[in-house]
Parts: sequence; structure tokens; C-alpha cells
Amino acid sequence: MTVALAVPDVLVARAQAGDEAALEALYRAFETPVYNLARRMLRNAEDAEDVLQETFLEVVKSIRDYRGEGYLWGWIRRIVATKALMRIRRDQLRATEPLGEEHGKPGMHVGANLDLERAFEHLTDTSRAVVWLHDVEGYTHEEIGELMGKSVSFSKSQLARAHARLRGLLGEGEGAQA
Amino acid sequence: MMHCTMDDLLALRAGEASIWARRHVEDCAACRAELDAVYQRVAQLKALPALRSPRDRWPIVRDAVRVAQTRRRRTWGVWSLAAAAALAGVLLVPRFGDSGTLHAELSRAKDQSATLEDQLQNYDVDGRVLSGRTAAHVAELEDRIAVIDGDLARQAAPKAQAQDAELVKLWQQRVDLMRQLVNVRSTRARYVGL
Repeated sequence: MTVALAVPDVLVARAQAGDEAALEALYRAFETPVYNLARRMLRNAEDAEDVLQETFLEVVKSIRDYRGEGYLWGWIRRIVATKALMRIRRDQLRATEPLGEEHGKPGMHVGANLDLERAFEHLTDTSRAVVWLHDVEGYTHEEIGELMGKSVSFSKSQLARAHARLRGLLGEGEGAQA
Repeated sequence: MMHCTMDDLLALRAGEASIWARRHVEDCAACRAELDAVYQRVAQLKALPALRSPRDRWPIVRDAVRVAQTRRRRTWGVWSLAAAAALAGVLLVPRFGDSGTLHAELSRAKDQSATLEDQLQNYDVDGRVLSGRTAAHVAELEDRIAVIDGDLARQAAPKAQAQDAELVKLWQQRVDLMRQLVNVRSTRARYVGL
């Protein structure tokens, strides 16, 4: 999903002044891209809803600090990504799972011929986040490394492993890459 | 024959591949097909339909906006109240001199109120998820506190004929509401495990 959402400056100014109608207009404008990004990064729909809510609470609180550098979606998107990654880290800490450990769902095997959306769901939380941020949202490995508190090479290797796994789950290519 | 790894293919896509990988992919049909598959996967990911939130979270965000606005008003109210309380202290000291009990009760209520304000700061983290009902309850308590603050400020005005007992009663009501507010916040903080 590509977001090319232009928001009038006057709407942002009104939101910065605390105008409730303007804040709601911003919410309505960005509700779906925010939820979609959170949901693609997170396995659980309720977690994605919570990130949607937390993101807009943060937007409401910090909109005065937005100076118009870059486009508004870029500013909001970073809040979403940060909050979603915080949840991934929290869940991994609770599950004592090292960040980036590769695993699939039980019973899932290479060559399962899933469609892409289902195959994507079978990636680890970290791999899914890296793939979505890099391949769909256009983040660089440097930016992803910074968001995750990891190195550039971590982001690159996660992306490569994720693509290799997707390829396997989709049952693609039997020749090269074996 | 050695083929490109996934790292090589992604590097090719990013224009950062080694000379070997660039030359190899020109000659190897299998690796070209793999590279095409990477491009197609990414294009398909970008084309996935947008997922929409099943529930509208705006009412919760809106309640939080209203709470924040009330809090800002109350913060200003507290500053004016502090100034008014200082003035009231000057005006009331002679009268309280005859009424030690009321003076002691007033001091105690003010101390309790200040302590509860401090406690509230520990739980009062903006951005924490509140249910709609909790946010509405918090807003109601804060509104009632704001009303009492307004009454206290009026009582402390230079021309007001403040009754000592009335002041004590208002401060005690404020303490009671603050206590309820702290309870709501602390319960919520325990619930979310923070």
C-alpha cells in the first residue's frame, strides 16, 4: 500500500492549536495507513489496534513539535514503526526469544505453496518488520538499524533470510538458490 | 556452477552488488529468474490490500484530548490557586489564630492535596492506553477538581468573605477527589503492568 496523502497546512495548524475537529480529520486521514503498517509489522490484530491508538495519542501530544520538515505521513509513520517495534521487543523479552531468531509456524515447511500474504504472516516478527519497512515503506537499512537499535548488517541479513524463506514458502525456484 | 545467494540478489536490486554477481547474473538465466522473482515479490507486497482497523479508536483518542485540555486548564488553575492560597494565608492567619483546630485541618488538607498531586505525577503518563470508560471517569474527576479550584480561588479573593470552615470543607473535598483520581491512575498502572 502506497500512501501519498497530502494534508493541507491549515489543517495541521488547526490541529496544532488543539482543534478537536482538525485532530479528528487527521485521525480519519491516517487511520488506515497507520493501522495497516502496524498490522503488517505485528502478528496480532489487537496489538495493531493498540498501536493505532498509541500513535494518535502521541500525535495529539506532539503535533505542536511537528515543524513541517518532510511530509506528515513520514513523521507519523516513524511513530507507528517505533511503537510497533517496541511491542515486538517486549513480546520477545517476555518469550525470552532472541531478536531475529528464525522460526516458522509449527508444521510449516519449505515449498508449502502459500500465497504471498499468508507466507508473509509466517515470517518471524522481526523479519516481517524489516521486509515491510524496507521493501514497502522504503526505509533504508541504516534507518531500520537505527529504529531497531541494531546494525545495518543485521537489517540486511534479516531481509535476505526473510526473502529466502518467502521463496521457500511460495514454492518458488528449484534450480538456483538451492 | 556457483549461483548468486539471496544476499547477492538483494544487493543487485539495491545496485550494490559485487562485480562477480553483476557479471554472473548476465550469463545465468536461473539467477536472472531469481532476481525477477525478488522484484515480483516486492511488487506484490506493495500491492497487498490495505488492512483496516475493525474498531474505531477515535473516541478513546478524543477522550484523551479532552482530558489533556482539562488538565492544561487545571494546571493553570493550580498556579492561580497557589497564588490565591498564598494570599489567603496572609488574610486568614489572624482569624486562624483563634481557631487552632480549623487551621490544623486546613494545613493537613493542603499537605494531603500536595502529596496526592505528587503521586499523580508518577502515574500520569501521557500516551498510556486508557479505556474509554476510564478516560471519561478521569475527565469527570478532573472537571470536579477544577470546579473546586475555582471555588477556592474565589474564596481567597481579597474581597471575599471566606468562612474558615468552608475553606476546610473545600480543601477536604479536593483531597477526596484527588484520592479517587490517584486510585484510578494507580489501578490502571497496575493493570497494564507498568
